[in-house]
Amino acid sequence: MISNRHRLLARAFLLFYAFRLSAGTPQQPASRLASSVNVNSRYIIEQVQVNGFPASKLNDSLRFKLQKLVGSAYDTEALDDLVHSLRKDLHAKNVTQHLARGSSPEMVKVILEVERRSVALDLSVPKFLYHSKQGWSAQMLASTTVARNHGFIFGLVSDGDELTERFTGIQAAYENLHVGTDRLRFRFAFEDYHQQWNRATTEALSDPTVLSPALRTDAPELYRARRNFQPSLAYAIEPSLVVTAGLSFERLQETLPYLQTEGANAFAAGLQYHQRFADENGGGSTADAAYSIRVANRALGSDYLYTRHHWTAGYIFTRGHHSLSEQMTAGYISGRAPLFERFVLGTSSLLRGWNRYEIDPLGGNRLLHNSLEYRYRMANVFYDTGSLWSRGKVPTLKHSVGVGIRQSIFSLAIAFPVRQGRVDPILMVGMNY
Amino acid sequence: MLRLTRRLFLLAGCSAPFTVALSAQDLSARLDSANVLHVFAPGLHFLKGKPLERLKDGATVAILGQLTLSLDANVTMATRAVARFALSYDIWEERFSVSRFAATHQETATRSASHLSPEAAETWCLDHLTVDTSVLPSGRQFWIRLELRIEDGREGNQIIGEPGINLTRLIEIFSRPARAQQQRWQLDAGPLHLADLRRSSS
Repeated sequence: MISNRHRLLARAFLLFYAFRLSAGTPQQPASRLASSVNVNSRYIIEQVQVNGFPASKLNDSLRFKLQKLVGSAYDTEALDDLVHSLRKDLHAKNVTQHLARGSSPEMVKVILEVERRSVALDLSVPKFLYHSKQGWSAQMLASTTVARNHGFIFGLVSDGDELTERFTGIQAAYENLHVGTDRLRFRFAFEDYHQQWNRATTEALSDPTVLSPALRTDAPELYRARRNFQPSLAYAIEPSLVVTAGLSFERLQETLPYLQTEGANAFAAGLQYHQRFADENGGGSTADAAYSIRVANRALGSDYLYTRHHWTAGYIFTRGHHSLSEQMTAGYISGRAPLFERFVLGTSSLLRGWNRYEIDPLGGNRLLHNSLEYRYRMANVFYDTGSLWSRGKVPTLKHSVGVGIRQSIFSLAIAFPVRQGRVDPILMVGMNY
Repeated sequence: MLRLTRRLFLLAGCSAPFTVALSAQDLSARLDSANVLHVFAPGLHFLKGKPLERLKDGATVAILGQLTLSLDANVTMATRAVARFALSYDIWEERFSVSRFAATHQETATRSASHLSPEAAETWCLDHLTVDTSVLPSGRQFWIRLELRIEDGREGNQIIGEPGINLTRLIEIFSRPARAQQQRWQLDAGPLHLADLRRSSS
């Protein structure tokens, strides 16, 4: 005799089997069927050309999809997917696809015509973060492109994560995306911020024993507002290699009782490299490197005289659901730099888990940091190590570890400083940080 | 009696460019040895305009076809056949290729032809849209209605699956009016008698 328990088990098994059967025979998408019957699927795609949008402005994902199609058989499904992505990512009015003969009878060329909106307004939130020690940080940008090549950006920001200070204010920029050529761009940026200082920073500046010997004689001043005008040019030597050069005229209004205005006017230049490599197994890797220099001198009317170097290098290796990333950051400042230029550890990306004001409430002028992160699907673990010091002080290496989850642009992480004594974990939640 | 309202007038005006109704003389029929009815319409050309542009841009264009027989001047349907054809255009050979997807579980094979001129591709589609006349009472007059429409993406996702196309959904599509922007053609013929139809071996 079959017991009720066995009946239930049998029913559960039948339900499971029925589910497997229904899940195992999915409806074949129309596009898949269309691909298999398209007579051009016997030809190889020689080139995918995008007209109506500068190739240098395509994002990594689109470039990857474009590269993947070249050398493969003509596939209407993959092309439909690309057209859909182009329309979505470029906020295009329309994207039409054309097919042309290639250079030999087995090859074809795909031409994608991007029709852009005459005026497109994009709203974005490049950063949104809650940090259990530093509170909220957020940036919101509105951007529009007029007559194809003229971009206008306006943004609001309140950030207590990146620098020693919390800066709150507005950002605005004009960009010309085609100065004679798609490779050369002009940008004029304007920033206007008001500052809030942590008590640890104000106390450190008033206590000479905390300051390094170099700062005792020439300490930076606290300021209550700063305003920056920054014209610059960017030239893409290759799509993966961009060099920038410009000027930065930054005015700092000191706090009470002085209320003087000081200038931190600098020549700014940089070099950025970004390359994505795809392998045949669907995995790939991404390499990034950047160097920037800011030189403030009397020729530009600067009151602060300094040179700031900053290097970053990163490599992300992805295979299936596994991803391993390695990021290195280094910085060096010589001379007397304002507080916003000084390096910080204990942010949402550098030495996560540490309170920045415990490391150095004034920031440092020497920085070395490394971050190693492993990710499987949504879950990730990381190990950060770094040192922040100033001239005349002995560098000490600090470590932190953490775990988190990351889905698309959303992240949640808990980081722990590796040290003796009481350990306070730091929680970070947000997106794009 | 149909009242001509302003809305109806506008609807008719908007949809007129997309519907081509040819005269009865444009639709002819023949019977093969198995009493299966085939139609041909030399005056019907659906490979032109936007569908042709899409084909030459490398897209696959799907055409849905329905052939209906009725005993009362196309008021009620006696029997029908539906089919889906996928056409593509060879960019190098400048010739058309067409595949007819199996419409029933009994008929699982996909038939196809290639290296066709536009006219030959159109003829191939019509020749592979056939209907069995065995359900018609002998000696009764009957009418034929041929309907073709260009499939839009949403319809394609609804009707295509394993092993071929979903016959029920395809019939449902023909049961509702075509969308305003959807190109379609409709041809009627009749009254006819089976005995009067030309017979062929295949």
